[in-house]
Amino acid sequence: MRKQVFFPVFMALFGFGAALAGSADDQPKITSATFGAIQARHIGPAITGGRIMDIEAVARSPRIIWVATASGGVWKSTNGGVTFKPVFDKHTQSIGALAIDQQHPDTVWVGTGEGCVRNSVSVGDGIYKTTDGGDTWTHLGLENTERISDILIHPENSNIVYVAALGHLWDANEERGVFKTTDGGKTWEKILYVDENTGCADLAMDPQEPNILYAALWEFRRWPYFFKSGGPGSGLYKSTDGGKTWKKLTNGLPKGDLGRIAIAVAPSRPNRVYAVVEAEKTALYRSDDLGESWQKVNSSFNVIARPFYFGHLFVDPEDYNRVYKPGLSLGISSDGGQSFTSPFSGGFGGGVHSDHHAMWINPGNPFHLLLGTDGGVYESLDRGNTWRFLRNLPVSQFYHVSYDMADPYHVYGGLQDNGSWMGPSRSPNGIENRDWQNIGGGDGFYVFADPADPNVIYAEAQGGNLYRFDRRTGERKEIKPMPGEGEPEYRFNWDTPIALSPNRPEVLYTGSQFLFRSRDQGESWEKISPDLTTNDPQKQRQKTSGGLTPDNTTAENHCTIVTIAESPLDSNVIWVGTDDGNLQLTRNGGRTWSNVVKHVPGLPPHTWVSSVEPGHHQPGTAYVTFDGHRTGDMKTYVYKTTDFGQTWQSLATEAIQGYAHVIREDMENENLLFLGTEFGLYVSLDGGRQWARFTGNVPPVSVRDLAIHPREADVILATHGRGILIIDDITPLRHLTADILTADAALLPSRPTIRRTPVAFQNFPGDAEFVGRNPSDVASITYYMKKRHLFGDLRIEVYDPQGRLLKKIPGTKRRGLNRVQWNMRLKPPRVPPAPTLAFRAMFGPMVPEGRYTIKLIKGKKTYASYVDVLPDPNSPHSAEDRKRQQETVMTLYRMQEDLAYIAEAITDLRKQAESRAAKLKSRDRLAHELRRFAERLTNLHQILVSDARSIFAGDPKLREKVVDLYGAVSSYGGRPSESQLKRMRFLQSEIHKAESRFKTLVDKRLPALNKKLRKKKLPELRLMSRESFEQNQGGMGQ
Amino acid sequence: MRLRPFTLTALFLIFALPFILSAQTVDELIQKNIEATGGYEKWKSLKTMKITGTIQMQGMEMPFVRYSKRPNKLRIEATMQGQTIVQAYDGQTAWWIFPFMGSTEPQKMPKEQAEDIIEQAEFDGPLIDYKKKGHKVELVGKEDVEGTDAYKLKITLKSGQVIYTYLDSEYFLEIKQTAKRSRQGNELEVFSIYGDYKEVDGLLLPHSIIIQAGPQTTNLVIEKVEFNIDLDDDFFIMPASEGK
Repeated sequence: MRKQVFFPVFMALFGFGAALAGSADDQPKITSATFGAIQARHIGPAITGGRIMDIEAVARSPRIIWVATASGGVWKSTNGGVTFKPVFDKHTQSIGALAIDQQHPDTVWVGTGEGCVRNSVSVGDGIYKTTDGGDTWTHLGLENTERISDILIHPENSNIVYVAALGHLWDANEERGVFKTTDGGKTWEKILYVDENTGCADLAMDPQEPNILYAALWEFRRWPYFFKSGGPGSGLYKSTDGGKTWKKLTNGLPKGDLGRIAIAVAPSRPNRVYAVVEAEKTALYRSDDLGESWQKVNSSFNVIARPFYFGHLFVDPEDYNRVYKPGLSLGISSDGGQSFTSPFSGGFGGGVHSDHHAMWINPGNPFHLLLGTDGGVYESLDRGNTWRFLRNLPVSQFYHVSYDMADPYHVYGGLQDNGSWMGPSRSPNGIENRDWQNIGGGDGFYVFADPADPNVIYAEAQGGNLYRFDRRTGERKEIKPMPGEGEPEYRFNWDTPIALSPNRPEVLYTGSQFLFRSRDQGESWEKISPDLTTNDPQKQRQKTSGGLTPDNTTAENHCTIVTIAESPLDSNVIWVGTDDGNLQLTRNGGRTWSNVVKHVPGLPPHTWVSSVEPGHHQPGTAYVTFDGHRTGDMKTYVYKTTDFGQTWQSLATEAIQGYAHVIREDMENENLLFLGTEFGLYVSLDGGRQWARFTGNVPPVSVRDLAIHPREADVILATHGRGILIIDDITPLRHLTADILTADAALLPSRPTIRRTPVAFQNFPGDAEFVGRNPSDVASITYYMKKRHLFGDLRIEVYDPQGRLLKKIPGTKRRGLNRVQWNMRLKPPRVPPAPTLAFRAMFGPMVPEGRYTIKLIKGKKTYASYVDVLPDPNSPHSAEDRKRQQETVMTLYRMQEDLAYIAEAITDLRKQAESRAAKLKSRDRLAHELRRFAERLTNLHQILVSDARSIFAGDPKLREKVVDLYGAVSSYGGRPSESQLKRMRFLQSEIHKAESRFKTLVDKRLPALNKKLRKKKLPELRLMSRESFEQNQGGMGQ
Repeated sequence: MRLRPFTLTALFLIFALPFILSAQTVDELIQKNIEATGGYEKWKSLKTMKITGTIQMQGMEMPFVRYSKRPNKLRIEATMQGQTIVQAYDGQTAWWIFPFMGSTEPQKMPKEQAEDIIEQAEFDGPLIDYKKKGHKVELVGKEDVEGTDAYKLKITLKSGQVIYTYLDSEYFLEIKQTAKRSRQGNELEVFSIYGDYKEVDGLLLPHSIIIQAGPQTTNLVIEKVEFNIDLDDDFFIMPASEGK
């Protein structure tokens, strides 16, 4: 009896356990390797840059330049800035400072976390070092400093390094101040520290007495709605014993609370020290006694503007009176700081971007300057009078991205301090700087093309300054909603949302504390909500924001709407999120609203709503990301509801790093989700239960916005630091089900391939410009493998619609997704050998439109799928004309092969005749006849093939003429011209003529020669057959 | 105040680990690799090797043959539009015939290309008897190669050239190699992926090599491997110019 009771219990337990195990384990585990070879492509732009934090070069060979960017990683040039490559792509992309060990220039230190603590800054995670020029990096601690603003290396002892750690921006922490290592970074000592609100903003070292150090300590803090620079913690400090002891410098410096201080020692006369000191009255101070006493020398606008943002100062290496103050503009003094001029009038002249942060002065040639701005790097060779922009650093900082339905489609987006732009997703020579078009200036955010009128673009500048741009005229009409009688002032966020309706092309939304809707391209706005924010007056103090130096740029505007989304399934369902943590929903087009944030579990109150994504498959579904980093809360918040916000489920897992900016649900597969955080892109294949970071050419950069192109199935990433990235064709990801993931191997579907005639435009731009990659214009074949392929065959075979094998492509071997390209062409034609290459015959004819069978051969197993090749929908050529072109190309293809056969047979016969002749005595009559026969063959060959040794020798023969016509007809997708067809017929008859001459010669001479050869017991001459020509790949072997 | 955060200790351990490993296992790893591919004796029984296959590059397919002879003779022939490109090394002189450069005459190779072919000419590759040959091998650690766990070996050749090779941690077969090649004084990083291992007369050899140099991908497909065929030493020596 007992057993009977126990048994079912045991079974139940077992069953329950299995069910549990099932729910956790039946979904195969995904990792970054699962996405394997799927890679994003970087399209720029580099026509306008991103914020630059530091520039250093190797003193002895200044062609080696390192650039540290605010949120786009570290870039290195080995050719004086002609080209750069990113060298820090596995690590956090926000950089505060870098330092080259000039004694060992392959040793470079990188301090992460930028120090220009504006509202949009990212965070760092400590200090790194390379000893191999950037190939590999070692993390050396200080991970909780969040931002490092300076690094100094002892000029004689590379193991001694000083680090200025600013520390946390949005909360208190103790890992800040000045740190020192004496063992190359293995251990650190905190050598100067005031309190948990004060960090070190700048460091300077006496170049002659490296134990003399100056340190600028700064008390500062940012809130979501306020910034404060300055406090009792700030001060200028000096040490004369390598940081063992410090004293506060006050003699001649302003009394009261200080703010940020920029400091510099004159390299040619180190008792001269300069400091810009933020105070009640900010000014430049100068000391001529090693900092012991100071005098105020200048308080002009550019010297004192925005000290929190412009925190550095530079002195000419040879002239101690020449001072550079990067700021809103670049201030230059040649009289020890008494007066300043600027090469740029008011900061905007000369075509140089304003907001200067970083500078490098060539110690061997002080006329040579590099300047780092909010818009990239500039170079001057005349001490700052004229500048050259480096158009090769694609570190633009996007806030948002959108697309249109043109073919190729355009991407649109706005940049931190670099305006709003549109650029193509594909361009004939790759996506070049010149392909980008500016829409407007200031800081750019949301940009949308009008779905009904592609000449109309909606964009904005900071603080809700919406405008409508006309591509035909370049005019901008300002369309910002404005309050009327009895209305409060409208509060617009720095990054004010603009949204289109996915259901009605004429509807446009924007939001202040109210939601607005326009149906007339922004000519008028209808207010469709009450104040959707908390309207907390304590959080509306932007007018007094800034601390010692007021700074009201709309960057601290608060209690505003920051995200708007209409459901693609119901135009009456609109979701709105606010910066003060309200998540509002209307289900009746704005008549009534409910704040559903109270139902979100585990979320601290008033957490910024960073994005809302209404579901594409279920009307009650929505996904929301929240971002608490502006209060020091760095956790990832991502939630899903299926009941219009009544209940929420967290989708955050351990695999995700970084505070969340955006989530998107795929419109085809509701289990496929994309999440952008401060540290990269994450993908889920199972509706958010599991996530893995997408690492295919996407560094751990801030992903601020995502869009999925509905026609191309591309995922478009707006990164804040690396411009626009595109992941082409996610069709394979849509089909990566649990069944596929557990299979040994599987072929996955791809979008159809468009058959396009390749085009290029003449351009010789050199190497100094960034060029974005185009999508593949041939078919991509994607397959999945559970494990790396090691043993036996792995290849893709392509068959034409008639079942003939066209191509074998070696497979890539990796675990996860693999992607190989099929060039959609037959083998290049065989051409007769000649001293010059026949360039126009180096490619085969493109295959016609149709369905091509794909087989994956993996060891003994075969998997089958297909690729559809479709005509270009934009092609002006009719189906009949395209067919005519393809047939003509094939005829010319066969003509080349015919010619190759004749030429080869002639050559072969000539060699036979010569070798028989060589076996006879030179005076032998047969030898003479054989040589004459060979000579005739040589003459015949010369009709077919030019023996010119250079393409400039210009002696085209049949080979060259046929190849040329083949190239000409191939390069145009439509009907060949009458002249071309006529020419083809003529060349055909010439080939036939040559062939019949050859045949006549052979028929006439061969029997007689062979008879004589037989008599001499020599082997007969044999004409090479077409079959043996086809079999022989082309004269290989010994 | 001295900071000794936990993570630093952990980091130190992680860095120390490869060195501990290396003392014990760098030779073991090489031994395992040699065993996996057929064993030391088997390799040493080979005198010559002929590999026939196809090079796929930019949509073109070029047949190639690679002849090698112990200890360091090599000749590679590839055919394009009916013309044969030859690159060879006879143990003394590296030379080539490049018909499309305007000359069908054999010429000495430029120094940078010569260094590459001399390196490739080593009959067994660098790992077998590496100490005897004057190479150095270090175990850098374990690294992820396209989602596969692999041992990363740093090979410093006698010439000073550094190659990194990656052995998969399950079968100890080479799956990847990287090297920096010098071109006009600039560095070009070259990655090679090895796969499709097949047994040929008791030796396990890759039959697919994918080479990535900058933006260019080259596929080598190996169709046939033959051992100990007769190859005369003269075959590797630069012929006198036709004109002389």
